[in-house]
Amino acid sequence: MVRQRQTSLTRDGSIEPMVEVRNLEKWFGEKRILKDVSFDVYPGEILGLVGKSGCGKSTILKILCGLLQADSGSVSMHSEEVGLVFQGSALLNSYTVKQNLAIALRRRKLNKKDEERIIYEKLELVGLRGLEDSYPTQLSGGQQKRTSFARAIVNDPKIIFYDEPTTGLDPVISTVIEDYMNDLEGRLNAASIVVTHQLSTWTRTADRIILLHDGEIKWEGDPEGAMISENPYIKQFAYAKREGPLLDSAV
Amino acid sequence: MTTSARSRNNILRPFDVMFEQFGKCCQLIGQCLILLCRTIGYILRGDIDKTETWRQCYRIGVQSWFVVAITALFTGFAMSLQISRELVMFGADTAIGGVVSLALVREIGPITAGIMVAGRVGSSVAAELTTMMITEQIDALKVMRVDPVQFLVVPRFVAAMLMMPALSVYAMALGLIAGIIIAYTAANVPVATFLDSVKQTILDRDFGTHFLKAWLNAIIIIIVSCAIGLRTRGGAEDVGIATTRTIVWAMTLLFIFNYLVTAVTYAPR
Repeated sequence: MVRQRQTSLTRDGSIEPMVEVRNLEKWFGEKRILKDVSFDVYPGEILGLVGKSGCGKSTILKILCGLLQADSGSVSMHSEEVGLVFQGSALLNSYTVKQNLAIALRRRKLNKKDEERIIYEKLELVGLRGLEDSYPTQLSGGQQKRTSFARAIVNDPKIIFYDEPTTGLDPVISTVIEDYMNDLEGRLNAASIVVTHQLSTWTRTADRIILLHDGEIKWEGDPEGAMISENPYIKQFAYAKREGPLLDSAV
Repeated sequence: MTTSARSRNNILRPFDVMFEQFGKCCQLIGQCLILLCRTIGYILRGDIDKTETWRQCYRIGVQSWFVVAITALFTGFAMSLQISRELVMFGADTAIGGVVSLALVREIGPITAGIMVAGRVGSSVAAELTTMMITEQIDALKVMRVDPVQFLVVPRFVAAMLMMPALSVYAMALGLIAGIIIAYTAANVPVATFLDSVKQTILDRDFGTHFLKAWLNAIIIIIVSCAIGLRTRGGAEDVGIATTRTIVWAMTLLFIFNYLVTAVTYAPR
């Protein structure tokens, strides 16, 4: 599926990246998790970070969100408004759906009326209107994920990160979530990074794919290219083959 | 290394283990002091979520009333029975009220409320915050640029500072009622005599010490449980470890500071 995105151009006509990552390195004790990782993400683009478990995808997201410090390298983000959709939704269980969204709005110090308007608007967008007074434990997995979406976009961020947004969901709900991602991208023209294992998620949502292996970028290209590439890493990953370089280092 | 192999090694190296424990202890004290400074900083700036503070007052105060009542009543019964028995033997039964009330105001009231709140509230705060850490709820707050200290610690701290003195006075009052019942039934001391003895024995400064201990208990319980909760990562097992650690540390510090306050305020001059 080829998707058309809006892009913002600089005065000289070049496109200015919203997220710039340069030579990122991260060590956990003796283990090197990220090795010289560099990439850009542009407005209106969804970048898919793929790779097998433990390859450093989520570590990159945590560094970008400020939850972890890189040992070297730099990260530049040209917007302060960042939204993150967590793998496990990470909703505050002792607060209702509405209160979860209100927490994200706290620092804007809005009056009650404006706050409610924004919250209802975002809940409407993800199809959760009517569930605003429910607690996260009363919601299904898909509804929790959509609440997490609504919370991530409540401040209209220009950068959105998705950590395994469809993992653990059934194929139908996964498709709904993927459609929301594409829909939001169209509305907000944000730069997004989606960390995923799911083939359907990166083929249906991403404009560009980066394959990470042992903390290094092994392949970069579009989803269509991933399916026809002769690169042994992406070929093995895209076709979920047992034989290949992705498994050799682990076994 | 497996747990059993680690245990075998640790038995052979007791001083290494003691040194490691000492290091962890210093680390926790440092974390508690930093957390306390940050919490007080927010309170001085007036960054207090009133709705959440009221909610925490209910959780810390109102929901603890029953357990504190039971503990205070039975501690009062046992203590009064012991005191009555000894004083009756010496013919000093009119002093029962004074001795019971002294013990209750100066020591038993604050410590009983402190222990029960440490067990009930401290453990639940540590378990709640650890679970929030494990399930990335704290990370979600950070991404939303909400400081977990301001959002989670400050309301609990303010609520504990408000509710602990109330619980201590409540524990003291119930202990006194227990004392009156025992003095009347076991030593045949009239209620008026008991209360007269209380009035003659208790000084204003005893109440000052009582409230000082209650506030110190509140600080210890909330800061220790939050510091441990906000530093724990891992899985379900770590929730249990954090809870146990909180109770052990909070109660240990409760007794140490209780003694220090007593030593400072009642040391013979």
